[in-house]
Amino acid sequence: MKLLRMFLIQTRAHFVWYFRRDGEMMFWTLAMPVFFLVLFSFAFSSGPNAGSSRFLVPGIIGAQVLSSGFWGIGVMLATFREKHLLRRIYITPMPPWVFFASLVVYRMGLLAAQAIILVAVGAVVFHVRIIGNPIEILAILLLGTATFVSLGTIIGALARTTESANNIASILTVPLAFLSDAYVPIDRFPHAVTSALRLLPSTQFIDTFRDVSVYGASLTHYGAWILMLVLWTIAGTVISARTFRWV
Amino acid sequence: MTRRESPDAIADRAIVVDGLVKRYGELAAVAGITFSVPRGTVFGLLGRNGAGKTTTLECCIGIGRPTAGSVRVLGLDPTRRRELSDLRPRIGVQLQATSLPEKANVREVLELYAAYYGIASRAEEMSERVGLDGKLDRQIAQMSGGEQQRLALALALQHDPEVLFLDEPTAGMDAFGRRILWGEVERLRDGGKTIVLTTHYIEEAERLSDRICIIQRGRIVAEAAPAELVARYGGDATVSIAAEGFAPDATLGALGVWTQAGAGWKLATRGEPGLALAAVVTHANTLGAKIVSLDMHRPTLEDAFIAITGETIEETG
Repeated sequence: MKLLRMFLIQTRAHFVWYFRRDGEMMFWTLAMPVFFLVLFSFAFSSGPNAGSSRFLVPGIIGAQVLSSGFWGIGVMLATFREKHLLRRIYITPMPPWVFFASLVVYRMGLLAAQAIILVAVGAVVFHVRIIGNPIEILAILLLGTATFVSLGTIIGALARTTESANNIASILTVPLAFLSDAYVPIDRFPHAVTSALRLLPSTQFIDTFRDVSVYGASLTHYGAWILMLVLWTIAGTVISARTFRWV
Repeated sequence: MTRRESPDAIADRAIVVDGLVKRYGELAAVAGITFSVPRGTVFGLLGRNGAGKTTTLECCIGIGRPTAGSVRVLGLDPTRRRELSDLRPRIGVQLQATSLPEKANVREVLELYAAYYGIASRAEEMSERVGLDGKLDRQIAQMSGGEQQRLALALALQHDPEVLFLDEPTAGMDAFGRRILWGEVERLRDGGKTIVLTTHYIEEAERLSDRICIIQRGRIVAEAAPAELVARYGGDATVSIAAEGFAPDATLGALGVWTQAGAGWKLATRGEPGLALAAVVTHANTLGAKIVSLDMHRPTLEDAFIAITGETIEETG
């Protein structure tokens, strides 16, 4: 009961302090994905046709999962540490995992809001239909979130300052989004490059998510990639747990 | 110095620090510190910035891991995970420069910390105690540094801890904040709490501490009650007089050591300087000497600090 109350109040606090009272954050979180969808739909095709938008809706959601892990968890933790907030929390009886879980759940809430808005805009404006099995869609989304939260936490563990965490997250997020089939199809690259890019966890996650959600593929056909994502998640979790410092 | 103490005497001690060393690479921030704090007393760690006070305190609360030596707080070892978990609810800490989330307000922060400790929020009561009444809805970003410090104090106190660690608690506070903090410390001590306080304000250490430990470059250079430090290291009280035709007689000569500098005379005395002053004035009047200037100086903790460390507490140039 105590832990649940701790968790709920902490999660609400994250939401109120870092989202509801931060107009800039609200704008970037909710409006930017839609802006990307509209911009790229026109930029990468001759007009707003369902083909490119159908590619983009899951791609942008996938890219948001990536940046949630790297920025929302990794950079956020580095900022909390630099501001001595983690140190202050470490002295209290709250178990560290409760704090971490509340941060992750808060970010998942924002991700859900982003996804719902994108799907709604995609459906209304671009006639993109989500036709996959809802449970399979949710499963791959949760796995991807786990992967990029665990990898993002490594940034939060290794970066000594907010600035260096920012730099690492920038270096990773932007190129990864463009090289992982999120905004542009990677099969336009030479075959060898495409094959190499398919080894990235971001590509594996985004492609699986796209195929399952808008192309209606069954998740059971993606066993190898799911296994890879699980391994990435385990590796990220182990490295984070070993290197993370509260003070 | 080895102390042999009975188990009972050790149980009376809220904090026992023994041979504490903390190195950061080559630098020894703390170079072998030993002290203990009896329950229900206020222990002041006094020293310049960078002397090792904060590092010592961090080792007591589980933030810093000692390189060598041991620390026990309420009989628990903060370097052991299990014991630290048992310790956390029983201590309250005000860290130096606590930065709270800018968009949070006072009430929310107190509610959140109440949840951390599994207690009902005492936001109204705590905000009153630290002089933030009527400011429960104020956001951190709109509060002065001193107000934030007072909120940090409230967060340290809300769960009614047995031992309180205050790291430079009044740094950046105005006179109002200092009065509130000093009042709380005195009230908590009277309520039987144990308090460890680091400070580089001599006045604060003297006013609040039952015992003061002076730390210099990671070592303890003196430890005693404030009055004892002054008596032992503060030097003589002085009475200075400049008066035409004045010269001490035998009675005055017996009070201490007289030195003459130009037209002025200076008495250094171990006795009560107030009485010496009265005798000097009476003598000058008897002689009909016109007093030009008169001064009495009672040794202070600052004199003792300078005598012990060979430097002033504030870095000057």
